[in-house]
Amino acid sequence: MAMRQTPLTCSGHTRPVVDLAFSGITPYGYFLISACKDGKPMLRQGDTGDWIGTFLGHKGAVWGATLNKDATKAATAAADFTAKVWDAVSGDELMTLAHKHIVKTVDFTQDSNYLLTGGQDKLLRIYDLNKPEADPKEISGHTSGIKKALWCSEDKQILSADDKTVRLWDHATMTEVKSLNFNMSVSSMEYIPEGEILVITYGRSIAFHSAVSLDPIKSFEAPATINSASLHPEKEFLVAGGEDFKLYKYDYNSGEELESYKGHFGPIHCVRFSPDGELYASGSEDGTLRLWQTVVGKTYGLWKCVLPEEDSGDLAKPKISFPETAEEELEEIASENSDSIDSSTPEVKA
Amino acid sequence: MNARIMQTPPTTTVPVLRLPRGPDGLSRGFAPDGRRAPLKPVVPEIPESQESRESQEQRARATLRERYLRSLLAMVGRQVSFTLHEGVHVTAHFGATDLDVANFYVSQLQTPIGVQAEALLRCSDIVSYTFKP
Repeated sequence: MAMRQTPLTCSGHTRPVVDLAFSGITPYGYFLISACKDGKPMLRQGDTGDWIGTFLGHKGAVWGATLNKDATKAATAAADFTAKVWDAVSGDELMTLAHKHIVKTVDFTQDSNYLLTGGQDKLLRIYDLNKPEADPKEISGHTSGIKKALWCSEDKQILSADDKTVRLWDHATMTEVKSLNFNMSVSSMEYIPEGEILVITYGRSIAFHSAVSLDPIKSFEAPATINSASLHPEKEFLVAGGEDFKLYKYDYNSGEELESYKGHFGPIHCVRFSPDGELYASGSEDGTLRLWQTVVGKTYGLWKCVLPEEDSGDLAKPKISFPETAEEELEEIASENSDSIDSSTPEVKA
Repeated sequence: MNARIMQTPPTTTVPVLRLPRGPDGLSRGFAPDGRRAPLKPVVPEIPESQESRESQEQRARATLRERYLRSLLAMVGRQVSFTLHEGVHVTAHFGATDLDVANFYVSQLQTPIGVQAEALLRCSDIVSYTFKP
């Protein structure tokens, strides 16, 4: 039974969405932050796309945004020559880190103690977030503006991409370990800790390298220039989007194109899988973020499964949707009918 | 002979409960008291390293079981529509289930051949049931 993908459009931004990032999975679910040229990065609930809040403070386009693992902090990189660190629960600005040029990329270490930044001044900076007044450590070497910088190998190394190179640096010694050269402009980079895989896009290519050695693993060619790609956490699929406004889904093992989706009204700038792999988000020149199901038709988030109809009618089709408050409602009604159930002895195997 | 053939329905788009909520246009958002609402009720936290996968699973089972039992309680006295095999639909007022949820005790069972004042529905005969709380 073929079901057509229903993307969920998250509106709110008024200019192109240029970067997006998911948090890890927290007791409150997972979260999504989007960077926009309108200068107002937004935080959303990751599985539904519901807007939670807007980080107000930047005075220029926001080029990069990230969340720490437990989504308690956010960091943004902007054209106003600053990177900012935010409290992601209250929305308050915690720190403004002045730079000498447009800042393009920000990344937290796993423990959220350090922030890595990079931008048009061609320097990588490492800020100790426990000592914000202290000067950052600086790593120079790039010969063109840095587009993306990421911690890798348990924060012992740094990966950074400028226009034509991807470089690997050792954190402790602050020196370059290895570099890769490209003939075409590198458009994006994603780091997958499990398996130490680096996903790099340039031209129409989606390339996979070892994050430890930078050795190539494999690469695929898409039908159009690709701006961003993301590998599924279980490494079964990858998704990519770019200049033809379409999203492509490939089988990672065979390279076979599985699905492609139209929907955006402008080039896609960023695409990322959620931490549980159940959906992927895309940000576009058209100012929207869209959420797409990995398995089309599955009940998840706001998508509702419809079971196949048998000849005699809808036998098992759920006719009532259960909103988040169902449990409380049921409890209220149940308490009218009887005494509350003693829930302190969970021995019964359901 | 009544062979049940699965027709391939025409391609439809996946239904959604609603669209994602957008900014309210009035405020910058975020939790009003600066705190997030946890997804599930707060349970005393056992560090994951101490809690084995098995006991995590057992807690999940217990939660699901409790939800189901509460749903049964919520049904008491309400009109419930049952879908039985062969596409038969009946409605009745739900009374109770037995310990193993093998039988549903119902009253005022509307059947195609009349109303039964009291009845026992075998759960193995029931495909699905639905009610409005």
